[in-house]
Amino acid sequence: MADGSNMGGFEMAAYDCSILQFEGWDGAMAKFEVVLNRILGEPLPNKVGDTARHDDRLVIRIAPRRFWLLCDGPPPVIDVDAEFGCTLPLGEGRIRLRLSGRGLKQVLERCVAADWETLGDGRAIQTGLDHMPVLLLRRSGFECDLLVPRSLSKGLMDWIADASASDRYLTPSNGST
Amino acid sequence: MLRIECPYCGPRDHDEFRYGGDASVIRPVHDDADFEAWYRYVFVRENPAGPHREYWQHVIGCRQWLVVGRDTRNHEIASVRSAREARA
Amino acid sequence: MRRLHEGGRIDRSRPMEFIFDGKALAGYRGDTLASALLANGFGLVGRSFKYHRPRGIYSAGPEEPNALVTVGARGRREPNLPATTVELADGLVAESQNRWPSLKFDIQSVNGLFAPFLSAGFYYKTFMGPTRRAWMVYEHFIRNAAGLGRAGEEPDPDRYEVRNLFADVAVIGAGPAGLSAALAAGEAGAKVVLVEQDFLAGGTLLSEPADGEARAWLSVTLARLAHMPNVSMMTRTTAFGAYDSNVLGLVERHGSGTADPAKGEARQMVALLRAKTMVYATGSIERPLTFANNDRPGIMLASAARTYLNRFAVLAGTRVMVATDNDSAYSAAFDLAAAGAEVTIADGRAEPTHERLEQSRHWGIAVRRKSLISNALGRHAVRAVTLSEPGGTITLKCDLVVVSGGWSPTVHLTCHLGVRPVYREDIKDFVPGKLGAGQFVAGAVTGGFITAGAIEEGHRAGAEAAAFCGATKSVQPPFSLDLAEINAGPNGSHFVTSPRSGPLPHFVGGKDGSPARRPQDSLPTRSGERWFGNRKAELTKGKAFIDLQMDVTVSDVALAHREGYESVEHLKRYTTLGMGADQGKTSNVIAISAMAGLRGMAVPDVGTTTFRPPYTPVAVGALAGRSQRHLYKPFRRTPMHDWHVANGAQMLETGVWMRPSFYLASGRDVDQAYPAEMRMVREAAGLMDISTLGKIDVQGPDAAEFLDRVYVNGFAKLPIGRARYGIMLRDDGIVFDDGTTMRLSERHFFMTTSTAKAADVMSRLEFLLDTAWPGLRVSVTSVTDEWAAMSVAGPTSREILAAAFPDLNVSNEALPHMGFLEGRYRDKPLRIIRLSFSGERAYEIYTGASVGKEMWCRLIEAGTPFGQKPYGVEALGALRVEKGHVAGPEIDGRTTLDDLGLSRMAGKRSGYVGDVLGRREALSDPARPRLVGLRCLEPGKRLSGGAILFRPGERMHGHGLGRITSVTYSPTLDASVGLALIARNAAEEGAEIVAAYPMKGQTVRARIVSPIFLDPKGERLHG
Repeated sequence: MADGSNMGGFEMAAYDCSILQFEGWDGAMAKFEVVLNRILGEPLPNKVGDTARHDDRLVIRIAPRRFWLLCDGPPPVIDVDAEFGCTLPLGEGRIRLRLSGRGLKQVLERCVAADWETLGDGRAIQTGLDHMPVLLLRRSGFECDLLVPRSLSKGLMDWIADASASDRYLTPSNGST
Repeated sequence: MLRIECPYCGPRDHDEFRYGGDASVIRPVHDDADFEAWYRYVFVRENPAGPHREYWQHVIGCRQWLVVGRDTRNHEIASVRSAREARA
Repeated sequence: MRRLHEGGRIDRSRPMEFIFDGKALAGYRGDTLASALLANGFGLVGRSFKYHRPRGIYSAGPEEPNALVTVGARGRREPNLPATTVELADGLVAESQNRWPSLKFDIQSVNGLFAPFLSAGFYYKTFMGPTRRAWMVYEHFIRNAAGLGRAGEEPDPDRYEVRNLFADVAVIGAGPAGLSAALAAGEAGAKVVLVEQDFLAGGTLLSEPADGEARAWLSVTLARLAHMPNVSMMTRTTAFGAYDSNVLGLVERHGSGTADPAKGEARQMVALLRAKTMVYATGSIERPLTFANNDRPGIMLASAARTYLNRFAVLAGTRVMVATDNDSAYSAAFDLAAAGAEVTIADGRAEPTHERLEQSRHWGIAVRRKSLISNALGRHAVRAVTLSEPGGTITLKCDLVVVSGGWSPTVHLTCHLGVRPVYREDIKDFVPGKLGAGQFVAGAVTGGFITAGAIEEGHRAGAEAAAFCGATKSVQPPFSLDLAEINAGPNGSHFVTSPRSGPLPHFVGGKDGSPARRPQDSLPTRSGERWFGNRKAELTKGKAFIDLQMDVTVSDVALAHREGYESVEHLKRYTTLGMGADQGKTSNVIAISAMAGLRGMAVPDVGTTTFRPPYTPVAVGALAGRSQRHLYKPFRRTPMHDWHVANGAQMLETGVWMRPSFYLASGRDVDQAYPAEMRMVREAAGLMDISTLGKIDVQGPDAAEFLDRVYVNGFAKLPIGRARYGIMLRDDGIVFDDGTTMRLSERHFFMTTSTAKAADVMSRLEFLLDTAWPGLRVSVTSVTDEWAAMSVAGPTSREILAAAFPDLNVSNEALPHMGFLEGRYRDKPLRIIRLSFSGERAYEIYTGASVGKEMWCRLIEAGTPFGQKPYGVEALGALRVEKGHVAGPEIDGRTTLDDLGLSRMAGKRSGYVGDVLGRREALSDPARPRLVGLRCLEPGKRLSGGAILFRPGERMHGHGLGRITSVTYSPTLDASVGLALIARNAAEEGAEIVAAYPMKGQTVRARIVSPIFLDPKGERLHG
């Protein structure tokens, strides 16, 4: 029986988050994906929530016609033919929270209405945390990234910290923010 | 609570969605000057006790507008399609 | 009453001390508060709601109507808990309720003497109409007299949680049916959550004698479940609500007394369980019998007496009267006799079954036939009962009366889903109606009260539920519990067994759990009559209660009927029947039957009441979970938030954002600070954090066309590098929002919206693109969080900008009003737009959110030599009023372009959203409002927002000519000024008007003026 008592080990760290968004036009998606394949490599994630890793870049399909390229450094400057789609850098508006530890599942079930057990490694879902939009990216059974709006990052970190409060091993650490 | 199966994100709690009203009314084209057409689109509703087509946006998810077929008597959801596909 | 030396499921090696009404008492681990009180000889544990009658323990479960107690002290005080569901913990403190000065001597029990006045409809009759005023006088006394427990007044120190769970199969109830269902579904490979409200799994099996087969079945089954990693069992967890889409609301209680919030322990945790299928194995609740004084301490349900005996090793009485109209109470009688009690059975039926009589003889129990209990004697404890029998009445001594009127399936949860229960004449009760796909029922809730049948049903339901969600591994046949059931009648045994020696009776019911023949019953079978057999007796002997918790009697129901409150819904509201914390678990069906009898109708024609969540009470704290105190709701903070706080900003909650209201450097309070900040902006410069504005990136080949359609004014011809103020309408022609949009390139625009409407505008744009104009190749993305934004406004703003950005040409020629510059700042994007909200020359500076604070500090530094300081939203709002700019109070979802004096924005354009319906005839009615300015004419007085406008001398009533929407003190004019919406035919500049504020009894004279109080030609902002 799952309860809050075995929340051993939980860590949270915050980082800047560099994103380049690609969106293709309805009706031009096939051509747009050919262009993207050339720019980002193959294959592109097929379904919303799927991800594909190419070197140090992660491509997530976040909507039927929309992809996010997550990079470690500043986003590359890439333009696509306006006949097929467009790009938009979103490097400033989100914070990437890395949550990890054996207590992760217990913390997450207090935060998001998502079934961690059936979410595969490398899968992403967009859902609500305290009714605010976040993107949850499962890295492994004990590690995930949460992309949260910057203006809400302080409040949501407070929320997550409180949700993990029964875990006395919580060690707040700070990334590059 | 209602759970709505987003065609892109899977089943989600309804509080991830924003309700957008009756999806069976036909919006006039943007430059249609016909008053009656706009009047019907904005104000005239069937309000059925039974199957109802309605717009929901998965606003805390993929942000797509969806057409949901919901029975107003028991909240059973028979279909969910993206609004773009439902229109096509 | 005494504790037996052996037996039961209590742990005698773990004694526990607890306090009840200040007295230290002892119990054991495994006790409930109720069982421990009984073991300590407490027959009287509370006073009733209305009449303050002494009450004892009536049941052994959540249906308890009587034994409500308050547990805990100070902030942890929790009233109205049924003692039957409170798990005993060491150090537990509980007290009885609704009594003063003490439980045994309660002054207000004299209410009993005034009972005729407290009957059904008392409030309506006494305090409505001409006597309504009396309520004001008496309310205090009545509220004090009637009621249940008192909540704590101190802050609750406890921690609560809400969590999210997922399962393939949710099984509600861990009795024989539920356990069997969980086992089958688990074996099939489904992920199963099994929910049990008790702290032990087993349901009715826990009430079986210790030496029975039931115990073996239970331990083997639990061991098998424990070995299944895909099955989780949640005890101490009540499924309090069933919701659409197979969502269950669960509340988990902390196991061992007081939860320690310092250790992160939650006292209660709500879990929302989203399952693919549900198995309702919720069991049934025994029905009481109705007779005079049927509420006396020492009267309890037969099943409860059996539970106290077999589970808790408490013999609740030694001289026991068993009053029943069915067979199930016989097993209680036999077990009590086996424990040494002297037992008599008063069976209402003419011919109890042969086996029962044989067994009774074996146990030395006298069975009285056609014997109806009509009265109970004794005040604080029952000491005798009167039985009505064909040969007359007889009074027999006893110290415990156990009653059984059959069983009510626990249909509450299925009712939550809107599924109306169906009446079954054979069991004289309701069973769940037809459930939706993926929902199953098993066990006593189906109206079949046989253990073997329940196990089979549970097994089948579990396997089917698993198959429904694709788990189809092979499942072993059910592990049967081959109990010799006393009787298979649905009105008979409730999973009961007779393991005692003596003639073992035969199982005669349907093997598949279907109901067997109803045992012969000599009671009147017309609905309702049997509940009303003793009405006459009540008049002479005392009250006969239907709803023990709400003190509703048989005569109350009769009165409601006489006065025409015949429908079940009226009956409920008129008498308060079923409106207690127990939701009438033991009374609803009896009341419906009673009303059916009075009306001469069949029960199903009278109707059922609708059960609603929660099944049992849930602490409000548990529903709130973490959303309290500083986490009550999420706040958005701008990139400069910390700077504001560190520099004396008084932060204000504005919608979802925290914004500086004013800075302490400008004044000690808001009234002093905001005029100072306004003066600073008008005379030098001010810096304002505007990061909260909604920002939307709009791009694509059709972006210009798209904007042309959503704004009333055109954007297709907006030159690159220029900004334009725009207004959006709703489809019905009412103003939706305003904002500024600038053109970055041919296909790329940057839109801003008001702070308040940002989310609505974004969603609306997406709606139009997805549903109306999918052919437009346009991408819209919210970039509100991407940009830190700030505005420098005032006569010295250009100098400040030049100082801050020495590399940029910010001259009037290079950056005119509505002009736009792009650049880089610390390797982040930078956008500067010259536009004004305050009427002063002003610039909006946008940069990457991660460097917002640095940019802010740079502007503070550059601006200080020019007299610039930061200002807050209070001054911002006042500056725009002086300039006559409309905002939220004017764009209130009711006003049109014309109302706001903005029709020139649309000009002769057409084809934009809201165009056609905006030209509705009704919207040009001369009584429509028009935006005007008001200037207060009375020195020393102020205009008030929301004040109603009248002509001088006009009688002040109704809605007047209009209302004031925004007010401020204008330091420039040294006057109180405001914006107002007033009927067009009265909006005459120069006219005098009276602004009335009836809430405060104020009236102020004002003059109608132009809404633009300052610089009407806009020389300041263009300069």
